[in-house]
Amino acid sequence: MIDPALITNNLIDGVLMGLLYSLVALGLSLVFGLMDIINFAHGDFVMIAAYTTWVIAMMLYVDPSVTAIITVPLFFVIGLAIYKIIIEPILGAEPLIQIAVTVGLGYVLQNLALAYFRAGPRSFPAPWFNYSIQIGPIGIAVSKLIAAAVSLASLFIINYMLVNTKFGLAVRATSANREVAPLMGINVRKVFAITFGLGIALTALGAALYMMWGQTNPYLGQSFSLLSWVIVAMGGLGGVMGVLYSGLIVGVLEALGSTFVSPSARLAVVYLAFFFILWFRPRGLFGRR
Amino acid sequence: MEFSKAVRKDILAVIALVLAMAAIPFAIGFERYYLLILSTATVFAIYVVAWNIIGGYAGQLDLAAFVYSSLGGIVAARLMVYYGITPWIGMFAGAGVAAALAAIIGYPTFRFGIKEVWYALLTASLVVIVREIMHMPEFLGSLDYRLPWKYMGWYWLRFPTYEQLYWVLVAVLGATMLINVWISNSKIGYYLKAIREDELAAEALGVDVRKYKLIALVTYAAILGFAGYLHISLNGVYTYKNFDSAQSIAVAIMGIIGGLGSIAGAFTSAITLKIVGEYLRSSFGAVIPGLHLLIYGILLIVVGIFKPEGLASVIEWFKKKVGWGGEG
Amino acid sequence: MAEPILKVRDVVKRFGGIVAVNKVSFDVNEGEILGLIGPNGAGKTTLFNCITGVYRPEEGHIYFMGEEITGLPPHKIAAKGIARTWQKTRPFQKMKVVEAVMVGALLRTNDVTEARKRAEEALALVGFPREKFYVRGSEITLLEHKMVDLARAIATRPKLLLLDEVAAGLRPGEMDQLASILKRVNRETGITMIVVEHVMRFVMGLSQRMLVMHEGRLIAEGTPEEVANNPKVIEAYLGTKPE
Repeated sequence: MIDPALITNNLIDGVLMGLLYSLVALGLSLVFGLMDIINFAHGDFVMIAAYTTWVIAMMLYVDPSVTAIITVPLFFVIGLAIYKIIIEPILGAEPLIQIAVTVGLGYVLQNLALAYFRAGPRSFPAPWFNYSIQIGPIGIAVSKLIAAAVSLASLFIINYMLVNTKFGLAVRATSANREVAPLMGINVRKVFAITFGLGIALTALGAALYMMWGQTNPYLGQSFSLLSWVIVAMGGLGGVMGVLYSGLIVGVLEALGSTFVSPSARLAVVYLAFFFILWFRPRGLFGRR
Repeated sequence: MEFSKAVRKDILAVIALVLAMAAIPFAIGFERYYLLILSTATVFAIYVVAWNIIGGYAGQLDLAAFVYSSLGGIVAARLMVYYGITPWIGMFAGAGVAAALAAIIGYPTFRFGIKEVWYALLTASLVVIVREIMHMPEFLGSLDYRLPWKYMGWYWLRFPTYEQLYWVLVAVLGATMLINVWISNSKIGYYLKAIREDELAAEALGVDVRKYKLIALVTYAAILGFAGYLHISLNGVYTYKNFDSAQSIAVAIMGIIGGLGSIAGAFTSAITLKIVGEYLRSSFGAVIPGLHLLIYGILLIVVGIFKPEGLASVIEWFKKKVGWGGEG
Repeated sequence: MAEPILKVRDVVKRFGGIVAVNKVSFDVNEGEILGLIGPNGAGKTTLFNCITGVYRPEEGHIYFMGEEITGLPPHKIAAKGIARTWQKTRPFQKMKVVEAVMVGALLRTNDVTEARKRAEEALALVGFPREKFYVRGSEITLLEHKMVDLARAIATRPKLLLLDEVAAGLRPGEMDQLASILKRVNRETGITMIVVEHVMRFVMGLSQRMLVMHEGRLIAEGTPEEVANNPKVIEAYLGTKPE
């Protein structure tokens, strides 16, 4: 029999991680829903941002979460540049070509990181929030709690923005009909670029939060990429709420896999669920389209 | 069976290539290190040319190559070590098991219309799932399994020097290419190419899309499952880590760089990238680890953006230039 | 009169709350060219998609040569002898023209050489220029694309051919050319045709009998003259583009 306190601990951990996954996946979902771009390198931006966070945190000797003030705008700009150089030329290309190009981009990012930082894991040695709240046998890591809270707040802010701002309206109009949007005075290319930049900026926020306790290595992005895609697949398209629920499900599945199968098999459990969701609910659990 | 002129030309080109490759060990004086690299490159050429069936003709971005090759290889290795069955039989068993897994995965996948990005993700997930299942103590656990030294010689397809295995690999590569030539010039090939271009239009012309995708997937898996043992024999060891995501993606990458649907492109791309990669790794690996992968990445981006037809278009141009036909 | 080749009975197809095809019934007689007209959004293409198995109708039955084909997948319907073309051509861009048509021919033969011969015949039948047989799909004009689409469908040796807005995007001169091709194909092969069109002029000269759809329903049937003078038809077209 597995200790109920352990299960509870793992489940809480799963929920907190799930919120962070939602944050990271949101950018991917927006980009895919808006411009049909299949980005297989999404997670690799988390990895590059995690290194950037680490470098800045070490330089200033502040907690990684603080570096978001620098990395989020920086990665927004990087996102714009990547959009211009790599994404715009493959808009409307067949899926296989898009996958190929973004897999190539992922390879480039991974191996740049490998060349510069080598394979060893990097983490910040003096995190500020390295303690946990104990409630009887149950402990909650404060750093993860903060990360989850910031993620949740960001999701709601973006949701608010999509529903209530002029930019949000432009995004939704362009998602709904790319041919008609320009007739309404929307600069489609600009909307695309900003959305892509935003998506990459969100990966930087996710990375800064993750580095509060986590460590990065050149291959960190691979699991983030796959997990983000799993969340997009489950969530269907477009909706922030779909991404939020799917992220939570992924986090909880991971916790269950970790508890009942083995910690190393936790991703396999998520992917197995992904298989069955794709087979039986091809439009996602909360999906439209 | 009657072959058209183009097919006959392709078959002759494959035979010429096999003979030329078989002669290489003599040219390099049976140097062990070079033979090892050459053999590894040939293994990848088999995988990539086989991948061309599902990826190039059918247009499904399969990222699970090492599931099928490792599964087939391990089946053959286990049959050898545990039951004393020769890999000459074991490799067919491995092909059968890999094909069966492909059918089990492929049937519902194609039945539910999963394609494009979702197919790629599904197959990428498959690698992780199978690896973790194999990682469980009931299966392979965390151990390294070395093939015992007592199994040596042609009966076991294990050799103290590399050239014999290399020749076997070249023969398998030749067979894989001939299977490609046959598919490409048969009803299956035309149907797969039509599916790749436009599934709905193909279906309205009477193409049973699911059936032909499944044929492509199972054929590809069977070839990989068959060749898997040779890969293990080359390395002398297998573990759950053989179910490798990065290597599986590498197979697809080489296929794309080679040019979808081009046998010559797939072959050239696999051999060149693997040999150049190995050269870069041995020369610069200490200074810039991952340089060869960095170059693969840049090549992929460049090919994707500027030359989606891949290396094949370069080969095509070259053939026109020198007025030489051949497989393509 | 002989048994109709196609019988459509009370077919209903809904999308969400919209009824795209509403209790449609009609017969198609062997050998005829039947015109099916109606303004944009009348449900013509949806009806085609129900007949060819792209959609499964919610209600109703479709019989082809006395056999029920309702809800069969497209490839089985093609095998039974119904072929189609698409409103927006769906070319196999990277294949050569002959190869694309061979895909159709391979439905009735497994022999590639024989399929090539039949593909060339089908292309010749629709008047596709011989010197372009071996260029790629990406290098031909719109009219030629329509010819390839047509040849591809004919190569499956259908009994019934559904043409979805074949004239769309063509210049008037090209339309006349296409109309005479269709008449010739009908005469030489005896293939029954249903021609969907919202350009009335094109169908008028082509078909002996016409059906008119409006908002998912059949509202009129008759000879081109009868239909053109039917007040309901005129009303349906008023306010839309009459052309």
